[in-house]
Amino acid sequence: MKAFVLAESTDAQRALCAGARTIADEVVLAVVKGAPLTGVADKAYDVELPEGQPVENAAAGVQAAYEAAQPDVVLVEPTPRNKILAGLLAAKLGTAVVSDVTAFDGDAVTNMYFGGLAANKQKASGAKVYTVAGTAFAEAEATGSDDVETIAYVAPEKALVLRGTKAVPREGADLTKCDVVVGAGRGFAEEADLQMARDLCAKVGAELGCSRPLAENVDWLPRNLYIGVSGLQLAPKAYIALGISGQMQHMVGVQGADTIIAVNKDQNAPIFKQCDYGIVGDIYKVLPALIEAL
Amino acid sequence: MDFALTDEQELLVESLKEYADRYFDDESVRQMYENHQVSAEAQDAYRDAGFPFMGLPEEVGGIPTDHVTLGLMTEKLYEFTGAMTPFMTGMLACADLAEFGTPEQSAVIMEEYEKSGQSVAALCLSEPAAGSDNMGMTMTSKKQADGTYVLNGQKTWVTNGADVPYYIVICKDEEPARENNKMSLWLVKRETEGVSTAHLTKLGQHTVPFVDVFFDNVVVEESQRIGEAGAGWLLLMKNFEFERCLVVAQGLGLAQAAQNDAIAYAKERIAFGKPIITNPRVQGLIEQNEIMLQQTRHWLYYCLWKLDQGQSINADIAMLKSWGTRAHLQIADNAIEVYGGLGYTEEVRVGRIWRDLRGNMLAGGTCEVMDYIAGRAIPKLYK
Amino acid sequence: MKIVVAVKVVADDQDIFVAGDRTLDYSKAHQVISSYDKNAIEAAAQLAAANDGTVTVISAATSKATDAKLKKDILSRGVDELIMVTDDALATADSFATAQVLKGIVEDKVSDYDLILTGDGSADFYAGQVNVQLAAALGVPTINEVTSIAAEGDKVVVERTLEEEVEEIEVPLPAVIAVSPSIGEPRIPGMREILAAGKKPSTVDELAGGVDAKIEIEEIKAPELAPRKQQIFEEGDIDAFAAAVAEALK
Repeated sequence: MKAFVLAESTDAQRALCAGARTIADEVVLAVVKGAPLTGVADKAYDVELPEGQPVENAAAGVQAAYEAAQPDVVLVEPTPRNKILAGLLAAKLGTAVVSDVTAFDGDAVTNMYFGGLAANKQKASGAKVYTVAGTAFAEAEATGSDDVETIAYVAPEKALVLRGTKAVPREGADLTKCDVVVGAGRGFAEEADLQMARDLCAKVGAELGCSRPLAENVDWLPRNLYIGVSGLQLAPKAYIALGISGQMQHMVGVQGADTIIAVNKDQNAPIFKQCDYGIVGDIYKVLPALIEAL
Repeated sequence: MDFALTDEQELLVESLKEYADRYFDDESVRQMYENHQVSAEAQDAYRDAGFPFMGLPEEVGGIPTDHVTLGLMTEKLYEFTGAMTPFMTGMLACADLAEFGTPEQSAVIMEEYEKSGQSVAALCLSEPAAGSDNMGMTMTSKKQADGTYVLNGQKTWVTNGADVPYYIVICKDEEPARENNKMSLWLVKRETEGVSTAHLTKLGQHTVPFVDVFFDNVVVEESQRIGEAGAGWLLLMKNFEFERCLVVAQGLGLAQAAQNDAIAYAKERIAFGKPIITNPRVQGLIEQNEIMLQQTRHWLYYCLWKLDQGQSINADIAMLKSWGTRAHLQIADNAIEVYGGLGYTEEVRVGRIWRDLRGNMLAGGTCEVMDYIAGRAIPKLYK
Repeated sequence: MKIVVAVKVVADDQDIFVAGDRTLDYSKAHQVISSYDKNAIEAAAQLAAANDGTVTVISAATSKATDAKLKKDILSRGVDELIMVTDDALATADSFATAQVLKGIVEDKVSDYDLILTGDGSADFYAGQVNVQLAAALGVPTINEVTSIAAEGDKVVVERTLEEEVEEIEVPLPAVIAVSPSIGEPRIPGMREILAAGKKPSTVDELAGGVDAKIEIEEIKAPELAPRKQQIFEEGDIDAFAAAVAEALK
C-alpha cells in the first residue's frame, strides 16, 4: 500500500508520514510552500510555488505529484489551504475528501458527526483522500530517504492573485506542546475575570486556551487558542476546564488528555461525565480557593 | 378553535430569543439594572431589527401588527430577557402620537429612531395629587396674547422619562379646577426651557427610569397640541385597554421566567438525598404557579383577540389586570420559596423579578381602580 | 451583482437523542438552517446591499426541509429568492455528490451568477468541501476562510484569514467562496422581513436522476467515551478536590 502525504507544517509532515507508515508500506510526501522535510518519507515532491503566488494556484502541481506517485491513499494535514488542494484533487479523481479522520479500520475510516455527537464510519468507493490531524496517530517515528523531486508550477486558467499578506503575530503559547492546559469557557462573565484563569496557569505551569465562544463570539482570546473540533486537538498530561459545559465540539479537542479536571457550577453539565476529577461550584469561588490550596 | 401560532409568529419568537441571548445575558442585565438603563447597544439592536415599529401605523413608518402578535412579542421578550425594558411603554407613547397627532408631529418618531434606538416619547399623566383621581390634575395650559401657550405644573411617576427626547403631556385647558374636564395633549421636547426632571428611586424596574417632570412657564405653540383641544383625556382613554393588556403581558413573561428558574433549580437542588422537584410541597408551589400562568395567559390572549375583532374589553381587562398582576407577583413569590434562602439573595434573579412585578400591579391603574371599573361594568354584561 | 448562497438544511442537533444502543433518534428534531450558513447568507445580503445586487439561496435538500416556516426563515434574512431541489438521499450525501446537484441548480436556474457563497462547513459533517467541489464542477476558482469581500468590477477582493497571516486575494468572477463565521453576525430577522418572506418567490423541485454518492456511510453511532474516573466533589470539598488536582499534575 502506498500513502501520499500532503502537509504544510514540519510537525504535520513528520507526524503524518510517521502515521502513514502504520497503514502503508510506502510513504511519499508532497509540500507546496517551502521545501519538504527529508528523511521522513521514501520520496518527497517539492511542488513549485513562485514567489507571490497563493498556495491554491499550485493545485495542478499537487495533482501532477499524485499522478507520478499513483498512491492508494492520500493523507492531508487539515489546513484551509490544504482543504482546497485536497478537494480539487478529489474532484479531479471524481470523489470527495473525507475530512478530519480520527480512526482507520481497513478500508473504513471514522470521523465526527455533529461535532462529536456521534462517530461516522464510512468507506470511500473510489480514490481515498482523507484529511487527518497528526495527533490521530499514536507516537510513531518517521523514517525515509532524502530523495526529492521538483514538480514544476503550472498556473491555473483562472488564477487567484495575491495582493499582499499581513502577519498575525501568534498570541499565546503553542498549546500542543504544553503538559498542562487550562481551558476557559462561558462561565467567565467578563474578560477581566480571565485573570483568575491566568493566575491558575501561573501556579501550575500551564498555558491558557478556550472554548469556541470565547475565541469567536466575544474575541477575548485569539482563535489559535480555541480548543475543539475546528481548532486545536490536544493530548496533554492534564486539562483543566473552567466554566466549560463539556459539549462534544470542545471535548473532542482534549479526548487525548491523560487527566481531565473540571470546574462548573451546573451539576448537570456534560463535562462531569467526561472528566476524572470535577467540582460542582462557581469558578469565582472555586478558583481563588483552588489556587491557594495548590 | 385554532390556538396555534402562525409561522410568522413562531419566527418572531425565534428572533426575540436570539435578540435576548445576544444582549441580555445575566451579567449584561445586572449592569443594566445598576446603570438604570438598557444598554445603548441593546436599544440600537432592537431598533435595527425593526421591533419598535411594530404596532405603529404604516403612515409613520410603522409595521401594522395585530394585538395578539404584539402581546406575544411582549410576553416572550420579557420571558427571554427576564428584565423590564422600556420598549413597550415607548411603543405605546408613539402609538398615541401616531394615532392622534398630525403627520408633522408623528414625523419625529422616525426622525429620532434614525439617530438611536432610544425610546422617542414618554407619557406625562399622573401628578403628586392626582394618580387614580386623574380629574384632580392641576397642571394647566394658558393661552397668551401672542397665540402661544404657557404650561405650568408638575407631573410625576413618568415611566421612562429620564432620557427621552419628547414628552406627551396631558393638562387642563386654562383652569385647574376639578369641574373643568377639558384637557389637551401636548408634544413637548424634554430639552425646552422651563422643563426639568428629578429622578425617583423605585423599589424595582430599575432599567426603566421614573421621574418627576416640572413645567415652569414652558412656552408651546398651537402646532404642538396633539389632537383636538379639550379632547385629551378621551383620546388617551382609547388606548388604556391595550396598555393594560401589555402590562399583563410583561408580567406574564417575567412570571414565566421566574417559573423557568424555579423548576430548573428544583431539578438540580438535592435535599434529603433527592432533587427537591420530587418533593410534593415543592410540586405544590410549582403547580400553583403553572395554574396562574396558564390562566392569565389564556385570558390575556382572549382579550387581545377581542381587541383584534374590534370589541371592547373594558370589563375583561380590568378583571385580568387586577387579578393577573397579583397572580404574577405570587408566582415570583413562590419561586423565591422554591429557592429557599438563596432566593432571598441577589445571587439569583427571582427576587429582582419579584420587585419588578410588584410595580406592575400599580402600572396603568391600580388594582382597586380596576376593581372599580369591573364592578360597574360586569352587571351591564348581563341582561 | 447576482449572488447565490448554497445553504444546507440540517436536523437541530439539540433535538437529536442518543438511544441506549448508541444509535441516534431524530424523531423530535426540527429542520434548521445549518448555523454557519447563516453567516454566509448575511455576507451575501450585505454584499448585495452594497452593490445593488440580489441574493438567491439554493439548497440540495431533503423532503423534510421544505417546511414552510423554514423557507420563510431563509427568506427573512435579506434573501430575494429560494430554490430547493429535494432527494432524501441528500441527507448524508458527500460533498462530490452534493456539488453535482448544486451545479445542476446553478446551470438550470441561476447560470448568470457572479458569486456563490458557502459557509465554513455544515453543522453535521463539517467537511468544508462543497465550495471546492462546486467550484471544480463549474470550472471556476475558489477560496476559503474569507473574512471580508469587496466587489471590484469583474473580480472581488477578499481578506482571507489564516492562523498566522491574513492574505489579500483577488478572485476573478464568477467564483465560489467559503466564508468564515467571523465575516459577520447574522442579522436578527425583524417583523417586516418575516412578513415579507412568505411573499417572496420560492421553488421546490424533486431531484431528477438521483444522488451519485461517492462515500458510503456504514454507521453513525454515538462514540464510546473513554472511561473517566468521574470523581465529583461538592463546592465545600475544595481541599479534597485540590489534593486530587495536585496529585494529577505531578
